[in-house]
Amino acid sequence: MPGSGATVEKIASGRESEILIALIGNPNAGKTTLFNALTGLRAKTANFPGTTVERRIGHTRLAGRRVKLLDLPGLYSVTGATQEERLARDALLGEIPGHPRPDLVLLLVDATSLERNLYLASQVLELGLPVVVALNMMDLAEQAAIEVDAERLSAELGCPVVPIVARSNRGLDDLRHRLEIAVHRPWKPTPLAAVPPAEECEGCPFKARFDWAEEVGVRCSAGRSPSQGERTDRIDRLLTHPSVGVAAFLGVMFAVFALIFWVAQYPMDWIDRGFAGAGAALGAWMPDGFVKSLMVEGILGGVGGVLVFLPQICILFFFLSLLEDTGYLARAAFVMDRLMRRVGLPGKAFVPMISAHACAIPAIMSTRVIEDRRDRLVTMLVLPLFSCSARIPVYAILTALLFPNRPLLAGLIFTGAYSLGIAAALGMALVFKRTILPGETRPLVLELPSYRLPSFKTALLTMWDRARIFVRRAGSIILAVSIVLWALASFPRSEPPAAAHAALEQAAELERAGDEVAAAELAMEAQDLVSQHALANSYAGRLGHLIEPVLAPLGFDWQIGVGILSSFAAREVIVSTLAVVYGVGESGADAESRSLFETLQRAERSDGTRVFTTATSASLLIFYVLAMQCLSTQAITRRETGGWKWPLVQLGYMSALAYVCSLVTFQLLRAVGVA
Amino acid sequence: MTGVDERAGWRRLDQIEPGHCGIVRDAGEGDVDQLKSLGVCLGRKVMLVQAGDPLIVKVMGTRLGVSARLAARVLVEPCGGDAFGGRG
Repeated sequence: MPGSGATVEKIASGRESEILIALIGNPNAGKTTLFNALTGLRAKTANFPGTTVERRIGHTRLAGRRVKLLDLPGLYSVTGATQEERLARDALLGEIPGHPRPDLVLLLVDATSLERNLYLASQVLELGLPVVVALNMMDLAEQAAIEVDAERLSAELGCPVVPIVARSNRGLDDLRHRLEIAVHRPWKPTPLAAVPPAEECEGCPFKARFDWAEEVGVRCSAGRSPSQGERTDRIDRLLTHPSVGVAAFLGVMFAVFALIFWVAQYPMDWIDRGFAGAGAALGAWMPDGFVKSLMVEGILGGVGGVLVFLPQICILFFFLSLLEDTGYLARAAFVMDRLMRRVGLPGKAFVPMISAHACAIPAIMSTRVIEDRRDRLVTMLVLPLFSCSARIPVYAILTALLFPNRPLLAGLIFTGAYSLGIAAALGMALVFKRTILPGETRPLVLELPSYRLPSFKTALLTMWDRARIFVRRAGSIILAVSIVLWALASFPRSEPPAAAHAALEQAAELERAGDEVAAAELAMEAQDLVSQHALANSYAGRLGHLIEPVLAPLGFDWQIGVGILSSFAAREVIVSTLAVVYGVGESGADAESRSLFETLQRAERSDGTRVFTTATSASLLIFYVLAMQCLSTQAITRRETGGWKWPLVQLGYMSALAYVCSLVTFQLLRAVGVA
Repeated sequence: MTGVDERAGWRRLDQIEPGHCGIVRDAGEGDVDQLKSLGVCLGRKVMLVQAGDPLIVKVMGTRLGVSARLAARVLVEPCGGDAFGGRG
């Protein structure tokens, strides 16, 4: 029987004998590139249980056996000084529950800075696991006229050493071959006699290791070119300059964002139209009723409203990966460090903060670059205060209500809303650093790697990885939330109001009389009345009434309350909700915003006064700048922090902040007579 | 500073001239360990590439951005000149 050999082997090996290989190496040594080259698209990103430290697991096959490749964080040592180092060490020793001890360690070493990389190598070799060394960046070493003697290094380290160029797949077949041999015949490594035990050296375990690394480096490599890194030094004179560097960084980020908003608008438009089209097609095909309403309004409408941000997220991560790969992001963190330190955060927090202006979700995911747990938590807590793109439609309608026909003032208020978000985030960061997450910011120690061309493949894979997390995690939560919100707005079903009945009868008469245009108009009006009435009597409407006393001091009525509740799916949903509750009818949401604007402007309270006075509009605007109203963000925060505690802190403080600021705004404006 | 004679010529890493180098003679504990595992440890040759806060040092061919607060805890013996590129 053909293929029986493989089958026999599979049965013999079984699932339990899956080989586990741990990949470890310095940051910037090309670990991600090698991991991607070995496992391709099949990798999964997750955190070590209960931590914010990320690991990736991928699968591949070696010599017919299933191999699990565990990508550990990029590290300079495994002595256990930081949480990452401890986790990496524990993972290598098999001391993490649910993680068996690896069968083999794949140690990545950067050939262009052999000595520094050998420091980590000496520690890993001491752990007593079989090690295969991949000597990466051989092309760059050749360019810099550094000759590395892999055979000599292999003899010094007592393990196989394979020269590779992970980026162009050079040497990867050889590496796989060596790994196959190692998988078949694991060996007990001999301890490195050259590294003296820590207690024997003069008070510095680092010194002994570096002395050893230097000696091995001298014996195994030759011909360091004196010009190495000169180009990088020249570029750095500008890009790390205290003022030129900051200006360059702002320029780069502005360019990236302009590109994101410009490029993303096309796919966002397609997604929007795709969902609208699918809704219309489904609506036409399905019979009227409960299921149709759930499918079209609940599921397609809700999920579409969030998936529309996927292009922005993809493009953002694509560019961030490119920037990181060139070595530029390290410079950005370097120049921003001094400024960020004033609010108690490291320079690395700046890129997530910039990203949060597109969407808080990718921003929270990109805080992984911040090593210190407290710094990272503070950054995650304040990120949703930055004005994300879901707020733009809300700001647009509210600034228009505040200053109709005065675009300059409206623009100023728009800018003010963004500035308020930034000020609130930085202020809250300072507050958190002084209260619930105290402690000095970890002082900057950051490698500034040589500049090099970025890898598009890595950027695409990063984008794919992040997009998948967004769709899976945010998508499932959004689906659930959409259904719940739909149910709240649709139940209990109520009888159409008498006025709608009357209008429909009148429309039927008109149609009999032959005036089809007037009949259609009247029928639409009746439909608006029905929707409005249904929402007012639904659970959502009742909830709106229930929270009205709480919201009244902010100048909000129950309709705005319903809008705020519906915003938890995605902030911009309030626009379409308000369209329904104030009676533009469901078609109004898609129609020109002018009609929505006019409806809101005309909207009246039961006592006949206008709803959207200056005070109420300003108060609602400030509420939308500051409030935590995005369950997808909460879901991602939960995922990244490993529990519900921090998302709840986030929800609590932001709601309180929004409430107090809106309250003060409304009451102040009313007190001075702006109503 | 203890004022021991031997230390007379030693300088804080954040206080040497840009472009000059020094041999690390003393480094603190705690946060400085991060620097040590990147090579700024006893006996290594370090060059100050750019002064300021944060500053840039070069050790074993690697550029490091380091907060001045941390660099201030590293004492170096100036090795004079800007000849960097040897192995220390």
